[in-house]
Amino acid sequence: MKSKKVLAAALAAALAVSMAACSGGTSSGGTTASGSGEGGGATSETVNLTIWSPTDTAGIEQWWVDTLNTWNSEHPEIRVSREAIDRSSSYDYENKITTATTSNSLPDILFIDGPMVSYYAANGIIIPIDDVYTEEDKEDFMPSTIQQNTYDGHLYAIGATESSVLLYYNKDYLDAAGIEYPTDSDINEAWTWSEFAENAAKLTTSDYVGTNIIMDKGEGIIYGLGSFWNEADAPMVSDDGTTAEGYVNSDASVETLNYLADLVKNGYANQDPITDEFLNGKCATMLGGSWNIQTLEGSDLNWGVSYYPVSNDGKAVSPTGDWSAGVSKNCENTDAAFEFLQWLMNTENCATYADTISKPATRISSYDLMEGWDEGPRALVRWQLENTGVARPRTPSYSILSTEFASAFLNVISGSDAKTELDNVAAEFDDDYQTYYAE
Amino acid sequence: MARKDASIQRVTYNRGEKVTGALMSLPAIILLIAFLIIPIVYTIFYSLFQYQVVRPDSMEFIGLENYLEVFQTEEFYVALRNTFYFTVLVVPIQCVLALCLALLVRSRRRGVSIFRTMYFAPQVTSMVVIAVLWTVLYNSNANTGLINALLSTFGAGPVNFLGDPDVAMNAIIFMSAWQGAGYQMMIFLAGLQGIPEEQYEAASIDGAGRWAQFRYVTLPGLANTTKYVLMITIIQAMKLFTQPYIMTKGGPQNATRTLVYYIYEEGFQSGNFGFACAIATVFFVLVVIISLIVKKLTRTK
Repeated sequence: MKSKKVLAAALAAALAVSMAACSGGTSSGGTTASGSGEGGGATSETVNLTIWSPTDTAGIEQWWVDTLNTWNSEHPEIRVSREAIDRSSSYDYENKITTATTSNSLPDILFIDGPMVSYYAANGIIIPIDDVYTEEDKEDFMPSTIQQNTYDGHLYAIGATESSVLLYYNKDYLDAAGIEYPTDSDINEAWTWSEFAENAAKLTTSDYVGTNIIMDKGEGIIYGLGSFWNEADAPMVSDDGTTAEGYVNSDASVETLNYLADLVKNGYANQDPITDEFLNGKCATMLGGSWNIQTLEGSDLNWGVSYYPVSNDGKAVSPTGDWSAGVSKNCENTDAAFEFLQWLMNTENCATYADTISKPATRISSYDLMEGWDEGPRALVRWQLENTGVARPRTPSYSILSTEFASAFLNVISGSDAKTELDNVAAEFDDDYQTYYAE
Repeated sequence: MARKDASIQRVTYNRGEKVTGALMSLPAIILLIAFLIIPIVYTIFYSLFQYQVVRPDSMEFIGLENYLEVFQTEEFYVALRNTFYFTVLVVPIQCVLALCLALLVRSRRRGVSIFRTMYFAPQVTSMVVIAVLWTVLYNSNANTGLINALLSTFGAGPVNFLGDPDVAMNAIIFMSAWQGAGYQMMIFLAGLQGIPEEQYEAASIDGAGRWAQFRYVTLPGLANTTKYVLMITIIQAMKLFTQPYIMTKGGPQNATRTLVYYIYEEGFQSGNFGFACAIATVFFVLVVIISLIVKKLTRTK
């Protein structure tokens, strides 16, 4: 009897303890890639920093291990580890940050997608990092990078890489349709909207479709296709990022949406393309990110690249932006975080990171350390970034714009009226801005 | 009498045993409080605030305004309609399918356990995996979508299963019933084993055929099981989320935006946490009411 009682009490106590341990606030999910594990060098003065970034390609995962090993062996007093966060669908990673924010369990440094910097900055989730870099350093970063990561006059984040979107084409399929390869050296000869649509129609066969316009049902749509709106002189929100009424639902915006939706409605592009559709020969052309270059170079596909399509009167704009690192409001050792961030985004690290993922570096001095950016597809990426790149809208209500815009796009494809859908986007955007950010 | 009862009780549960009893039920009570009671209370609490999810510091008390907005928002009624449409169709389909499967795999013939495993397999697979697989099966292009490839060999035109607002929810209903039926099948199987063999023997002596046996022995014998299955299937169906989240993102044209998906969208993607909590509270009340109605309707006399 007595032993039973003791057992019961012990069980209850054990359960209570284990539950307390569970709710201890440590973040779960994702694997931890910590540098230089061996040796118990940790002393009481050691500062521990944690980084969150989405799970990436094998190459980048290895880059993190190597880079953090280097840092941790040189700086035993600041130990840095990284958690790779799974990102199985478009908004999963952002949802995790949201959850961590409400429970005050954000990591010290977190990677965020460029256009979300304004949102996180406006809501105080990340803190200004103006002093991390000298003015000289800042001038070494591409102007578009600095601009994208600046909110309300302060720099809030910094990234190692930029991105662009190119027109990829399958040479065999263009040959079969008797279409000349588009240029990779003269923007004045780039395919216009009309040519892009006409060729997509000509290239569509029973075995593959004419083109692929991203269609990831999420952020990819506004990222990859938003430049069409810039080319049509139809910005989605006002310059100061406070309203979308009269912008995203303007006549030019409606026309642009209809132009792109028709590509899918007419069957020239798939509504739900399979993964790596272009690589698998299931589409003849593709509007794809610059990161596809590396994958395609390793394949047997007979492919080429050209400029992002230009408007019929020749206006050329191309997408830009990539993930950046910011310091969270939950960081207790901001000095250590600043010191690490300064090192992480130095010329050499930017170069090796960019090389690994085949993305253009943000630091101009990094290109001296990188090979292959003076010719071929990569030179085209660099050219677009320097000449036609425009950042996505900067506004704290960006996530509303992104999600509402993506669902409006899908609704128009399935038959809704473009004007009605875009009116709704404008209303939702303005409602959010007025509710949470208007003075 | 009352005095006697009281004295019996005092003898039955002495103080030490009371403590033991309390300690034994403590784990369950702690879990219930931590994962059920506290979240419900918080949800109701937050539903009274204007609360942007990442800014708990600037919460503003607005009383019942969120609820007024819920009932004035068209999207709420669309989500409500979608949820009911899904529930009303998927529950009978799934339950009948599960009962048929249970009757099929009940026999003791050799190899029947293979079928039992096969029918149960979708149930042990994560819904996320199943949803991704069916997204590929349902792909609208006859070159890449397996079902459309099959249709095209019969000369039928490609169906845009997940892209057509008139078809998308039905496509989700079909795959959900297929996925979910295995679980209910197992419960029905257990129920079938509880019906004494003698009742069937007696029925066949009375000249009852197979249908009559099913109608007058099996069905009444399964009455309690059926009630339980109905209840859990209805509640499960009301909570539809994973399939639209993975397969359609609530689209096309809101055709698959269910209440739970709407709550998620408002709370996490749009950040309107207070508003999302108000919808969640309404949803909670709705599920409780429906459960009570179902319980009342299926009560044995």
